[in-house]
Amino acid sequence: MNPRLLELGLPLGPNGLPYPIPIHPNLVHLTLGLFIIAVVFDLAGAFYPVERSLIKFFGIPAGRANFFDVGWYNLVAAAGITFFTVAAGFFEIMLANPPAGIRSAWGWLALPTMLWHGVGGVLLLATIVGLTVWRGMQRFIWRKGQSRQVQWGYLGACVLTIGALYLHGTLGAQMGSEFAIHNTAAGLLRQGKSPNTLK
Amino acid sequence: MVDSFLNEYNLPYPDPIHPIIVHFVIAMILFSVLCDLLGFLTRRNRFFEVSWWNLVVASVSIFFAILFGQFEAALAEPYEAARPVLQLHTLIGWSLGALVVGMTAWRSYLRLHNPLKVPPVYLGAGLLLSGLVCYQVLLGAKLVWVYGLHTSPVVEATRKGLLR
Repeated sequence: MNPRLLELGLPLGPNGLPYPIPIHPNLVHLTLGLFIIAVVFDLAGAFYPVERSLIKFFGIPAGRANFFDVGWYNLVAAAGITFFTVAAGFFEIMLANPPAGIRSAWGWLALPTMLWHGVGGVLLLATIVGLTVWRGMQRFIWRKGQSRQVQWGYLGACVLTIGALYLHGTLGAQMGSEFAIHNTAAGLLRQGKSPNTLK
Repeated sequence: MVDSFLNEYNLPYPDPIHPIIVHFVIAMILFSVLCDLLGFLTRRNRFFEVSWWNLVVASVSIFFAILFGQFEAALAEPYEAARPVLQLHTLIGWSLGALVVGMTAWRSYLRLHNPLKVPPVYLGAGLLLSGLVCYQVLLGAKLVWVYGLHTSPVVEATRKGLLR
């Protein structure tokens, strides 16, 4: 953390934050859940001819267009919420106190892990917003009225993005569990206090 | 000893899995309820289909969330202060399992009868469910970020016998 941030006068707890629980990891649930399920449903829509017999067999009343509706609305929601995920992430990264000398499972130190997670977060926000614009062009202009609403290239780009999100999320998980950034119990242990004093 | 299979997070695999699976419960339930509200208010019935599919995903995911949650809770070795929080999180988790499947059954029944309409009583129940989900997320976040279960400094302190 930049010591000048202390000049803000925020009342920081043992987790280094002015509130008990970090916000970013909770918003991440929404970003990842919405984005991944959006892609899953676009894939289900694209491969509809393959699974049609399965849907008929189970007697689920489900139309192909509905799959693309889920793909579109979930993606729009993911893009919207991710601005807040990244904003909260940056606030909390600026207040982070990464431990020196510890290496992650990837052999990285805390600081580069944190920096790459920050850079990656901005790039992924741009990617998700870009994909949403691309998806919207297909839905409303290029492929309007076509039975397969999405291009194969779009689906490929989405799958690659999920791969990037996996790597990015692994860095985030290492920041939480390995480096224990913004963790109250770890902060207390570092100060020589017992987390058992927590209520 | 079993210990040789466990890493620095006291898990037999690299990272906790439960917190990843719950993405697909939390996001899908909250978005499902939001879509029902949007469908109700805007009268655009495609929101109702989006809502139903999201709820189906949540119903399937919550089964795996509980499965991995139980497994990781069993390996969590919670110290005294963390124990009641883990117990409450477990209790609400199982209850949510039943509630989410029940809501999905109710929502599917409504959808089969009239896919263009959702009654206000269901919307109310959806909002209550969302509240319970948010509370459960708060408890889960506390277990990780406040009590530090399955994080290396806490696992290390527990193994050294400093934390019981």
